[in-house]
Amino acid sequence: MKRILSLLLTLTLLLAGCTPAAETPVPTPMETPAEERVVRYGLSNAWDSLMPYNSPSGSNYSRIIYDKLYDRLAYVHADGTLDARAAVSWESADGGYAALFCLNEAAAFHDGTPVTAEHWVQTITLMTDPDCPAPGRSVFAVLAGTDDTGAATGERLGVEAVEPYTLKLTFKAPTTPEDFLLDRNREFYVLPTHLLGESAPEDVLSLELWNAPVGSGPCKFVSETAGSQLVLASNPDYPLGAPGFDRLVITVMDKSNLLTSLIAGDLDYYAFGGSVSVEDAELARQAGLTVLEGEVPNTFFELMLNNETIASAQVRRAMDLALDKQSLCLQSTQGMGEPTATDLTPGTGYTAPVTWSRDVEQARALLEEGGYAGQTYKLACTANRSGLAALMQQQLDEVGITVLIETVDSATMFSGMVDGSYDMAIASHTPGALPLWFTESRLSEGNNIFHVADLAPYASYFSEIKGAADAAVRQALVERFQEFLAGERPFIPLWFGRALHVQSPTVEGIDYPSSSFSNENVWDWVKP
Amino acid sequence: MGRYLRGRLVTAIPVFFGITLIVFLLLHLAPGSIVDLAGEGSARAAGQAARVEAYLGLDRSLPAQYAAWLLDLLRGDLGTSYASGKPVSALIAQRVVPSLLLTGTGVLLAVGIALPLGVLAAWKPRSGWDKAASALSLVSFGVPGFFLCLAGIFLFSVVLGWLPSHGMYASGSFSGLGDLMRHLVLPAGVVCVSGLGGLIKQTRSACLEALGEDYITTARAKGLNDRAVMVRHAFRGALIPVLTTVLTHIPHIIGGSVVVERVFGWPGMGSLLFSGILSRDYPVVMGVTVVIALAVLLTNLLLDVIYGLVDPRVRYAAGCSHG
Repeated sequence: MKRILSLLLTLTLLLAGCTPAAETPVPTPMETPAEERVVRYGLSNAWDSLMPYNSPSGSNYSRIIYDKLYDRLAYVHADGTLDARAAVSWESADGGYAALFCLNEAAAFHDGTPVTAEHWVQTITLMTDPDCPAPGRSVFAVLAGTDDTGAATGERLGVEAVEPYTLKLTFKAPTTPEDFLLDRNREFYVLPTHLLGESAPEDVLSLELWNAPVGSGPCKFVSETAGSQLVLASNPDYPLGAPGFDRLVITVMDKSNLLTSLIAGDLDYYAFGGSVSVEDAELARQAGLTVLEGEVPNTFFELMLNNETIASAQVRRAMDLALDKQSLCLQSTQGMGEPTATDLTPGTGYTAPVTWSRDVEQARALLEEGGYAGQTYKLACTANRSGLAALMQQQLDEVGITVLIETVDSATMFSGMVDGSYDMAIASHTPGALPLWFTESRLSEGNNIFHVADLAPYASYFSEIKGAADAAVRQALVERFQEFLAGERPFIPLWFGRALHVQSPTVEGIDYPSSSFSNENVWDWVKP
Repeated sequence: MGRYLRGRLVTAIPVFFGITLIVFLLLHLAPGSIVDLAGEGSARAAGQAARVEAYLGLDRSLPAQYAAWLLDLLRGDLGTSYASGKPVSALIAQRVVPSLLLTGTGVLLAVGIALPLGVLAAWKPRSGWDKAASALSLVSFGVPGFFLCLAGIFLFSVVLGWLPSHGMYASGSFSGLGDLMRHLVLPAGVVCVSGLGGLIKQTRSACLEALGEDYITTARAKGLNDRAVMVRHAFRGALIPVLTTVLTHIPHIIGGSVVVERVFGWPGMGSLLFSGILSRDYPVVMGVTVVIALAVLLTNLLLDVIYGLVDPRVRYAAGCSHG
């Protein structure tokens, strides 16, 4: 019996050693350098396919992976400033309708092929081909010659290689290169089109190439256990500098084990930006780790409203006045946030003369005016926000609004808002620097998640604001739009939160706050 | 025996397809799809969600989706993961061995501890062995696996620094048995403790029951010593219920442990299933379901065969159970 057990155990261990995790040959122990510098990176959710335009979820967990393998035009800092990356400089052209990007001539794919403007043109042409089923195509909808889904319409496509290393993008509406990059940089990647051969657009997503992708980013692919572990190697030829490590091992693990693993020294970093709650920050400090306080907002909280079931603007405004955003914000961020009356990200330069203060009496008056008949509203939230939902329930109850809380997972909550099962839901988002970062995509015909009956006024504001080239004119339009939003109250802005970042002493050079833009400066990371 | 097994196999087929149908329906009854996951990060552009759903085939009716999946299954194709774009069979192939290793080691350890402890507890009631067995069972039943994981990490990784807190290998790929074993100890330990309670209790009660049988009294009357009575007679008599408990762990071993694999970042079937459910990756969840359902059905078949080998009183007839 013992022999059989020993044999079984040995066999299993041997099999484990032969686990087919690697898509490409992994160095054997004999080939592995003795003092390999490995950066161990934790992620709480899995990424999608390694083909950057084949991400059905379009989640930040996928974007943060693509950020390593593929190059982007620029690097976006937490405060919204931009640094060169694949593009060394950019300028506006054609009266604001186009942007010229001078590409880094030293950039090369991991197989050594130089990255040229033609690669970008071929990438965008291929992905916008109506026969290509790329789920991530909508990112190209800003370009001229595409429809709302990003598919080419047959008109002249807004991408051109002006010179071998000069890329020109033409937009549907006047857009500064900076606005374009702040809005879309994290979804624009260049593909190794020279390796796609004669593949038809409809077959591109299923090529073997994406099992062992060749990008031009700061890290090279080594191996993948899909959805569990990704092993990358430093790209010594990356133009911004070779990352200061040999391997980057990204492991998907439960949130509950991220900080403990960092404290134990088994992780060097976890996404996004080693973000931690106030309570856990104290624990991290006690364990000898440094905790950095973020200076710019990295989260925007809102109460989503169903404008069909809560049809009266007065009732929606009453809800806004009934909520004590200060206490809600304190409960959620422990002092690391500021209540807000708008979705305009503080520090971006855009402001609005809209203020907020709790007023129970006025809320009651508005409820009466709006004809609230005592119906019960369903409020959906994820499990980690059930405490927040309970507070909201109490505050709304004070003015006479009855709310029933349903704790569900994220997908259920969003689909419930889309199909109208819920009347309200608590959601958070990564804030953007542009004035329409939040509203434009959520108040459109294709994504009317707030169930607004008449989107025409919104569309009109969007068009005016986007078309305003002059900063003062745009600011004035933004103010008018925010006043309109305050009157209609299709959603309730709650607060902007700042993050606390736990820093491990085992890796240097990490720009923690900028991870909120789904980009990380791995080329500056050094594992001593 | 052959006729009986064939009969069991035939009845297993509708059970198998019934399981897949129920899981398929439950999955699709849950609100939301992989497309809705984009909500938190960024809203989809106009018409984009519908286009992605059409691309994934989610715009078809449920019967059409199930029929398509079933046809693919009959052709040996488990489909393609929505999220990773890889064949589900390839994903499962990557994950089965780590699960076998983790859960298999944990269950083997549990069996190695529980069987002798259960026998000793039955043999010497109210002794130290019995108390130890009760205490271990209490911990196993009473402490949730999730808490055991975190407590283990806190003690052995954070405080003592003896064992790694996550992963299967330190550098992302196999670099020696020692490294693998160090990573295996904590998660396998949790699997072991979680499985101990049932095994100890089952062994102890089966042995106690056997000790009250007439043939044990006869054995004692023949002058056999306690050890011989316990090992040769009582334990053998208790073997069927104990074997049942042990072998019912086989699907668990293949299917992996969701909580343990998730917390420890272990690349097994459990974590594959968890991320599949979380991301509404239906083909992955269905693929794992197929593997687990097959394991359960084959284990039941295996149990029937083993009953006959262990207990000569068990006889088989086609179409009916043992007896």
